[in-house]
This record gives sequence, structure tokens and C-alpha cells, in this order.
Amino acid sequence: MATAEIAVPARQTRRRIASGRFNVTPWLYLFPALATFVVWIYEPLARAFFLSFFEWNMLPTAPLRYVGVHNYTNLFQLPKLWQSLRNSAVYILGLLPIAVLLPLAIAIITHDLPARWRNLYRAMIFVPMIIAPVVAAAVWRWLLDPGHGILNLGLQGLGSKPVGFLTDPNIAIWTIIFITGWKLVGFSTLILSAANANINPSLIEAARMDGASRWEIVRDVRLPLLSATLLFLVMLTILLGAQWTFSYINILTQGGPMGSTNNIYYILWDFGFSSLSVGWSAAAAVLLFVLFGILAAALLWLMDRYSFYDN
Amino acid sequence: MTISLPQATAASPLRRRKTKRHWLANAPGHVALTLLSIICMFPVYWMLVTSLRPANETFETTLWPTSASLDNYIYALNAIPIWQMLLNTLVVSSVVTVIQLVVGLLAAYGFVRWQFRFSKLVYALVALTWLVPLQVVMIPNYLLVVRLGLLDSVVALILPHFASAFCIMLLAQSMRAFPREVLEAARMDGARSLRVLWDVVTPNLRGIIASLAILIFISTWNEYFWPLLLSRTPSNSLIQIGIQMFMTTEGTQWGPLMAASTMASLPILVFYVVLQRQVIQSFMKSGIR
Amino acid sequence: MLRNTLRGTVAALMLLPTAALAQAIPATVEAPIEITFYNYNLASAGIGADGTKKLIAEFMAANPLVKVNGVGVPAAEMGPRIQADVAAGQGPDIAQVVFQDLDFAAHNLGAHALDDIIPAAEIAAQTEGMSPNGLKLGVLDGKTYALAYTFSTPVLFYNADLFRAAGLDPEKPPHTWAEIESTALTIQEKTGAHGFDACIMGANGGASDWLLQSVVLSNGGRTMSEDRKTLTFAEPAAVEAISMLRGLADKGIYQNNAMAASLEAMAAKGLGMMLCTSALQSALIKGAKDKYELRDTTMPGFGDKQAVPTNSGSGLVIFASDPAKQRAAWELTKFLTSKRGYTIITSEIGYVPLRTDIVNDPQYLGEWVKQHPLVQPNIDQLSRLQPWVPYPGMNYRQVHKTMMDAMEMAVFGGVDVAETLKAAQVQAQQLMPN
Repeated sequence: MATAEIAVPARQTRRRIASGRFNVTPWLYLFPALATFVVWIYEPLARAFFLSFFEWNMLPTAPLRYVGVHNYTNLFQLPKLWQSLRNSAVYILGLLPIAVLLPLAIAIITHDLPARWRNLYRAMIFVPMIIAPVVAAAVWRWLLDPGHGILNLGLQGLGSKPVGFLTDPNIAIWTIIFITGWKLVGFSTLILSAANANINPSLIEAARMDGASRWEIVRDVRLPLLSATLLFLVMLTILLGAQWTFSYINILTQGGPMGSTNNIYYILWDFGFSSLSVGWSAAAAVLLFVLFGILAAALLWLMDRYSFYDN
Repeated sequence: MTISLPQATAASPLRRRKTKRHWLANAPGHVALTLLSIICMFPVYWMLVTSLRPANETFETTLWPTSASLDNYIYALNAIPIWQMLLNTLVVSSVVTVIQLVVGLLAAYGFVRWQFRFSKLVYALVALTWLVPLQVVMIPNYLLVVRLGLLDSVVALILPHFASAFCIMLLAQSMRAFPREVLEAARMDGARSLRVLWDVVTPNLRGIIASLAILIFISTWNEYFWPLLLSRTPSNSLIQIGIQMFMTTEGTQWGPLMAASTMASLPILVFYVVLQRQVIQSFMKSGIR
Repeated sequence: MLRNTLRGTVAALMLLPTAALAQAIPATVEAPIEITFYNYNLASAGIGADGTKKLIAEFMAANPLVKVNGVGVPAAEMGPRIQADVAAGQGPDIAQVVFQDLDFAAHNLGAHALDDIIPAAEIAAQTEGMSPNGLKLGVLDGKTYALAYTFSTPVLFYNADLFRAAGLDPEKPPHTWAEIESTALTIQEKTGAHGFDACIMGANGGASDWLLQSVVLSNGGRTMSEDRKTLTFAEPAAVEAISMLRGLADKGIYQNNAMAASLEAMAAKGLGMMLCTSALQSALIKGAKDKYELRDTTMPGFGDKQAVPTNSGSGLVIFASDPAKQRAAWELTKFLTSKRGYTIITSEIGYVPLRTDIVNDPQYLGEWVKQHPLVQPNIDQLSRLQPWVPYPGMNYRQVHKTMMDAMEMAVFGGVDVAETLKAAQVQAQQLMPN
């Protein structure tokens, strides 16, 4: 451990990597996490990559039948694949405002309120997170039902026709986005509130003393300092948005009606992960990983470039 | 617009000196927040209300049951070992939360405190683990658990969750926001890296750690597929499995399901209320030593 | 005389191979033994679990040497769970396998055909009194892999009160698709309630094609050839059946609603007729209590052709390889499919009895059937039952999904029925084993 203190004197720029001198300390810190990932995620993934070129039913006694890239071509030839890719983009664009912008507004507005109101609002907005996705889906289906759901009864009272929130192919995807976002608002608000609270109040005070208006303070002080967290949440939404919607699609629409709520994750689950044929599920996994891996790499690079830290 | 950074003063009366705003100026905010709160809470309220309705009135649309009863709760308590399942879930969620936070803090610190070869690559590899969906790794992990002889044990539920990319990345990012001077100063004091982590870095991440604790707890609490694969008897199962036992091939028993779900939601709510106070910490509570 | 001797000799010779195989399995349970039974009724909280536990308890009381370890696995997870456990070397000894997964279980998960491990005489003794059509349900490629355990047939539930309000006679429910159409329109017109719903495809039935197979069979078509090598759901007879459904959809009679939504609509008196699995009857009865009069009838046919119902549900499949466990598993199977077994399955869990002789027997179901008329259409349909046939090969789920997606598009998506089905058939055929 002694190497930590002597290794780099305070004056030397931290960017210079001590060449030739291998420092074991950071690796010790990383070890528990890396060990977990290697054992429980990367090893199965590597095995999936290998298995994706075979057809196998997973029994140790059964033969593995080599099929080359057949599993991949099967996936690419799925009729609903391109529709699900398009839908994935719609999901991301629809979730971003609800999962990032709205919580940002909530975090900032509530920050300046008296403690009682602040905690109350935040708690109420957090409540959706305490119920299981299955239950949330079930309740929303009741509330949105065209025949006897409260929302449609209200709409009918106002004179309009009942809306098939989950049965109309044009609307269903927005309903799923809404339900997913509804569940997530508390999550993002919590993270942004924590990040917001970590902003040095003297910075805010200084700006206020400089005569900046409330909006200007937000724009010039808070937002830049929250940028890292915001970009993090954006990345989260883009990469995991499809997975977040999974429960609701699975319970409420199964990708329908007519594939209008399908997204890349669901279709790969439907035809791949849930298959008993290991080749299909392995190929689907690799496909998902590569696709989103490229996306993630790009986003990480962006985050690195545009994050602004208070130092 | 440049902002000059004044010296961080200790107990300054900053927080108390909020400019008194006229209530009217805050009104739009309040209206919006109230509306949002209603939208957020109404379905959960509906769940509660449905759990109090008798069986043949489950689909009523009145705002409060015409004949409220606790029948569903009694039925649910008799049909599945709810208390046992809640206890199991509490143990698993708590242990996972603590372990994931500790492992996450160590790893995040490892990334932030030192610049070393491959650190960016390894960071990217950590981030990529996010993209591996559960179903893909579920079966190989299951086979591993069986080979280790850990089937039907709490350990098997916890082991794969020792580390989470989300936790590590969020902590790393929050640590990066630390002023350099703090870490430098501690290092010049000759403090060992572990002490710096424990005494200086961690207390100032209280807000983020509390938020993460809440989120990890909830995500473990609501987990379904992996615990399902490992469950063999109802009394060793987790609460989500219990709740879904009311969804049968002969139709779903909505009343008891909502009752079980309400009972399953309360511990999380308590956890949140207790921890969320930590999220409102002001910046750098302990300041620079 | 000679012919009889010859016949007897041939019969004896034929018994020889099975006798040789049957020597592997002991004649009785000789020592204490434990078997695991994967069961999806046990994974629910309610009548399914209670009935099953009762059955297991009665069996263990009668067979003290056998301990049955019942493991609850949700129906949708049964296939993956069996696969994972067989791969891990700890597969079940006996399981309740949904018929859709039967082929995969037989060819990929190590299920044993009863004919291979049990002496023929014993099988014959057990199956005597079972509906012959019901026995066919578990037969694949000429071998019996499963004995139908909890299964149901398609039944048209209807709201007698809504019928009366619409000026229709509840004693004369529709029996052809044309009558369904007119009845539904009348109900919609006169009462404002929705007329008809079905669990055939789409949001309400896309997960499983059992009812779809029934509709297609009723029109003289098949979704797959009898030798299970070629898909035929785009052939004219099938296309005609689907076009009929498309006609109903175009007229707004058949809508793409989720099953839960349909059940709720029935309970809210907002739905006149529902064609679905009879397993829903207890849920529907609960929803109808003190609200409306629930009745049911057999499934509708096409014009003069008699309807051909298929079954949904599961059969008991033996996976154990150890002969002693096989004997124990077979004893359990015998009990569960005995007269007593089916009595409990029907009266307490709500499925269809495979043994028609217990229906009128006062010692078994006689009284119960009289008090629960809703189960009668199932019994009537038993004689016309045809098996729900699983798709073969490793890609069977993808084959099924491709077909069901196309069906949904054809009926609700406004596209050309014949073309859509043809394209899907070509695609799915590539996924069939060659």
C-alpha cells in the first residue's frame, strides 16, 4: 500500500502514467467488481458467443450441430425486425423527456421549496417506484380500459369516444412510453436531487449576489454542474430504455397490436432469449450486445467530452 | 459568465437566508407538482382501493369501495406465506444493497483516484455489462450455482449481484466532481488511500449513496426471473413470486393480488422515507480538513 | 382355430420386446423412494394448488413408500425450467408438460414414451374407460408420451341476461359462426354491450394456437400436415376459416382485446359471448355471482360441418431414467389419472375429466355434474376432440410465433389474408426440421 503515497508527488501532472511501474492498488480496489462481472456476466457471454454458431438444446449428452451464421440470418430475416428498430427509436425519443427533462425540472423546482413541501412532493412522485411492475401494468390497464376504465369513462363524460389506449396500434406505443416514464420519474428525480444537492451553495450565492435571475442561475450554474449526471441519465435511457419497457410490453401488449409496441429488446426476447434452442438465444444476445455496445461506446465518448466538473 | 469561487465557509447562514418569495411566484410550480403528484399516486391508490373491495366488486369504478373489507388480505395471508417471503426478500435486498455499495465504492474509487493503463478500457467493459440482459446469462449462471451446490440458498440469490455497473458509474462520476484539492490535501497528510476513501470521500457522497441504496434495494426487491429460477418451495421464495402466484392459468385473483402487492410495497416506502432525508445534504458537509 | 392360435402366437411374440423392456421396471415400489413432480398448478395460490396438494396427499397416504416432492413452476416457465434442470443434472422425475412443448420434451428433454418403459398390459388397464380421443392427445409419432392430465376444451360462455335483453333465447345459443355474427350484432344493437370475443389470436390468444387449430380443423383444414412435416396454414381451407374471422373483425364484432380485459368485460356485463378455454369457468363464475346468469355451450362450427374442438392444457410426462423412480412416477400417474384423480381435478380444480364413465357415476362426479351444468359442453365435446398438435424441432417456438403474428395481421391488420399467410408459411417452413 505504501506505493500509493510515494508513487506520484503532488506537483506532477496526474496525466502522466508511471511508465514501467505497475501499481497494483487500483486493481485491488477493482477486483471484487471485476471478479463478479467476469464470472457472472462475461463468461456466460463468451459462451453465448461460441454457442451462437450452433444449434443445441443444452443437454450435456446432446450433440452441438454447427450451423454457421444461420442463427444470425434467421434473426435478421424476422419480419418485424425493422419495425421494432424504428419503434426503439420512438421509445427513446419518447422516454427522454419523461425520464430526464421532467425529473430535472422537478429536482430544481423542489430544491428551493421549504423542506416540508419538498419532501412531500418528492415522496409522492417517488411512490410509483414502490409497486412491482406487474402490478403497475395491471392497474394501468384497468384505468385505461376502453370499456370500464376511469380515464375513458371521463373522456366519454366530456363527449369524446373511448380511446383504445392499448388496443389502437397508433396509440399503444405512447401508452407504454407513458407507463414506463410514470414508473421512472421517481428514479431520475432521486438521482438528480442528490446531484443537485451536491452543488456548492456558495456558487449559487455568488451568482445571486452578482444579480443573476433565478432562471440564469439555473442555466449557468446548475445545468453545467449537473451536466455529468444529465448525460449519464441520457445514456441510461438510450441504452436501457428498451429493457425498461420490457415488463410492460410483456404484460400488456406482447409487442402488439400488430407489432406496434415491439422494440429491439422485446423482439430479441420473443424469438431469442425465450427460446429453448440455445443457438437462437445466444445469437440474439450477441446481437443485442454488439448493437448497444457500439452505441454505448459512442455515448461514453460524448459524455467524456462534454461533462463539466466543479474542479 | 465567469463565476468566482469563494472559499467554502463552514456553518454559514447561507441556508437560512433564502429570499422570501411571494407565494404567488411559486404557485405555477405548486400547481404543476400537485398535478404530477396526483398522476403518480392515483394508480397506487387504485391498487390500495382494489385490495379493499370484495371479490365480485373488483372492477367497480367508485373512488372508495362501497363495502370495504379486509377479506382479500386475510385470503392472501392464508394462501401464501407472505410474512416469510417478505422476510426473505428483506434479507436479500438488504444484503445486496450493502455489498453492492461497498464493492461499488471500492471500484469507483479505483477508477477515479488513479490513472492507470487500461483504466478507460476496463471502465468501458464495466459499462458494457449493463447491456447484457438477464435472460441471456440466467441459464449459465444457474448451471454454475447448481455446480457450486448453492441451489435453494440465499447465497445464490445474492452472489450474481455483488457488483452493478450502474452503481459503480454513478459513484465514479460523483467522485470525479470532487474538488481536486480535497483528495490532494488528504494525500499530503499521508493518509492511506483506504482511509481517504472512508473518511473524506464517502461522507460527502452521502446523498448519492442514500439514493443508490434506495434504488438498489428496490431493484432487488422487484426482481422476478432469477429468484423464480432458484425457487423450490414457497416458504423459501421471495415476495414477487408470491404476488404472481395469484395469476393462475384459471384466471387472476385480483383482490388478493392487490392485497399482497400493497403489503409488499410498504417496506420499500418505509426504506425510502428513512433514507431520503440523507439526500438533502448540503455540499461538503465535512469541508476540508 | 388355427387363426386364433396364430393370432395368439403373434400377440405373444409382439409382447416379447415389451416384456424384455418391461423387465427393467420393477413390478411394484419395493423400497422408500422420493420423486420430484414439476407442476404448474402448485405455482398458483388458489384452487389449483389446493386440489393438487390434496391429490398428492391422498396418493402418498395410499403409497407410503413413495414421497412426492411437488415443485411449483409457472406454466410459461415449465419448458425452460425443465431444460435448465435437465442440463444441470437434476431434472424432474415427472412433470406436467403443456402440450405445446410436448415434442420438444420428447425429443430434446429426455421424456420417455410410456410404451417404452411400462408393460403394455398395465397401460391398457389404466387407459380403459378413458375417452379414446382424449388418449390421442398425448400421442406423438405413434407413441404415448403423455397422459392428458389437466386439460380443457373450447367453450362458448354467454350472458343469458344480455341475451334476453336483446330479445334472444338463452336456451338456443348460436352454434355456427354465421349465428355468432347475427347474435353479436343483435346484442350490440339492442343492449349496447359488446357482442363477442374469443381467445383465438392476437392480444387474447397469440401465446398459444390451440384454439386456432380448432377453428381451422372445424373448417376441414389443418395448420400442419398429419405427418408434421409441412405447414399448411396458408392452404385454402385454413384461409377460408381465417377470412371468416377477418369478416367478423371488419364488422367490429371481433376485436383485439386482452383476455383479462374480456374477463372483466364479462364481469361488468359488457360482453355477450366469449369463446375461450373452459378452465376460465371458475373465474367467470366468480365474476358473475349475483350479477348475471352465466351459461355456456359447445364451440361453433362452420355451417353444416360439425365443430372440431381441440384441447388446451397439459399432460403427465415421465422423465426419470432410474427404473425404481419410473415405477414410482408411473404409480403417481396412475393415481392422478384414476377415477378418483379426475374427480378431484374436475370438481375442485375445474378441468375436464378424461374418463367419461365417472361423469354419471354418483360415487364420483354424478352429483357434481348435475349441480354444475357449465361443465356439460366439455363432456359433450370429448367425443369430437382432436389433439392440439405441437410443432416439431428446435425452432418450434419461432415457427409458432411466425404463424401467430401473421394470423393477427391477417385478421386485425387489414392486409390480404391469403398473401400474408402464404408469406408467413414460407418463412416458418424454413424453420421446420428438414
